[in-house]
Amino acid sequence: MSAWIAQTFGSVEALAQVTLAALVGGVVGVHVVLRRLPFLVMGLTHATFPGLVIAGLLGVNLLAGTLAFGVVVVAVIVALGAADQVESSSAIGVVLAAGFALGVVLLSASDGFARDLSAYLVGSVATVSPTDVWITAAAALVVLGGLALLHKELVLGAFDAGSLAALGYPVLVLDLVLFVGIEVTVVTALPAMGTILCVSLLVAPAAAARLWSDDLVATMAIAAALGVTAGAAGLAISVAAHTAAGATVALVAAALFVGSAVLRSAKLT
Amino acid sequence: MTHLLVDPFTVPYMQRALWVAVLLGVLAGLVGVHVALRRLAFMADTFTHTVFPGMAVAFAVGSSIALGALLAGLASALVFTVLDRSRRVTSDAALAVVLTSFFAVGVIVVSRTERYTADLTGLLFGRILTVDRAQVLEVAAVLAVVALVLAATHKELVLRAFDPEAARAAGYRIGAIDLLVNVLIVLVVVAAARAVGTLLTVALLITPAAAAKVVARSVGGMYVVAAAVGAGGGWLGLAVAYRASIDHDLRLAPGATIVLATTVLFAAVLGGRGLVRLAAQASRRRAAAAGVAAG
Repeated sequence: MSAWIAQTFGSVEALAQVTLAALVGGVVGVHVVLRRLPFLVMGLTHATFPGLVIAGLLGVNLLAGTLAFGVVVVAVIVALGAADQVESSSAIGVVLAAGFALGVVLLSASDGFARDLSAYLVGSVATVSPTDVWITAAAALVVLGGLALLHKELVLGAFDAGSLAALGYPVLVLDLVLFVGIEVTVVTALPAMGTILCVSLLVAPAAAARLWSDDLVATMAIAAALGVTAGAAGLAISVAAHTAAGATVALVAAALFVGSAVLRSAKLT
Repeated sequence: MTHLLVDPFTVPYMQRALWVAVLLGVLAGLVGVHVALRRLAFMADTFTHTVFPGMAVAFAVGSSIALGALLAGLASALVFTVLDRSRRVTSDAALAVVLTSFFAVGVIVVSRTERYTADLTGLLFGRILTVDRAQVLEVAAVLAVVALVLAATHKELVLRAFDPEAARAAGYRIGAIDLLVNVLIVLVVVAAARAVGTLLTVALLITPAAAAKVVARSVGGMYVVAAAVGAGGGWLGLAVAYRASIDHDLRLAPGATIVLATTVLFAAVLGGRGLVRLAAQASRRRAAAAGVAAG
């Protein structure tokens, strides 16, 4: 069994890592698409990039180091968003570009620039370790558990933040919890997908699932299934065709989305 | 100060780099004003990624990289427009899917070539220190054309940004105006791609104009501030990268250093604006107190 997996998907760790990241990415992605946060996710992935570089330079576990840095990034973006002088999409753009440039500068000051950089940018699923898989599994449990516990509040916040506040819920704290959940998901997807393509696992499956169902829980289940399909199929294709794994997964995810849009367009428009 | 800002540019290759950095800063600053006004930051970011497969294919077959970038940029604009028409797909989800799928194609194309990592970083981050005279003139020509177009369509662009209903009522074709802005963004990305790379161009489009929006009171004022911040960031970033390399033996990627310098200028503008506000409040309070004392 494990020999077959290694032959088809590269390694057991690679398959486990991509499956877990895609599963959580699909579920969290429904919130991302619902609240129109794809650009925020893009900003988070890029601003988290220096954390990955710093963790690499310090020699600590990449996932653990990046997770710690990611929480700081979320705080900065929330603080900038609260300042009223800068419009929010510009704020995300500035943080995105600055974070990304910081990562590149830090990396350029160290040796092996080009090789390391491309691994960070487009991912390198071959280097995933069993420790990474366990950290990802734990992170997945925490994120999915948190989303399940706060489901009603988060959905109400997405559709009607005003009445959520009127009911006495702390809206800002709930938003912060969701952002941290998104950031944790981003970090777990980074090693396999890389900085730039990571956003695909959090948007494409969820956007496709929205086309198939109006029920949010069903949408989350469909998104998770589509994400896992894209992850496994993308890995298998990348091994067979010798293409970059993260990029192949992103393409399969996009194909599932476009296929859904074409199949459903007759009924919806 | 001269040691940092003037001395590095006595060497010819640094002079050419400075010309390109300043011209690109002005060019992207000007177009960025419309990105900021229309809140198109995500769309600008998407185009910086979708030109990449065109560059990768052109690079692989040995054709013009600028042409490949242009074709891929226009193709992605077309795909996005089609996806965006579906009511069930929000435009930001469509942008994310277009961005990742186009970029993924580029990565796959490059990953099939021999010198994978070196090519990838060259295309993504540019090589501003090796630009030649022809490239400087190219960027200058693009800047001249874009400035002329912006001047000629000023009224239409501003009306569309602030009051699309009025623009439509006045008989302007919104679709054509939007297409023009998208084409301008793609042009900037293509012009900047070889020097600072596709990925960092988004900073030149967003950050200087965001700084301009904080302080300027008119669109004309925004143009001036955005161009100044873009050009200043280019100058400062190149100088810092050069000094770090010569004086401290520290290699800093010049394109990324330019982005960080531009971000520092943005933070300075934001902080300066905050200080001016605080000072104005304090002087108002003093005046009020003086008025109370006199009365």
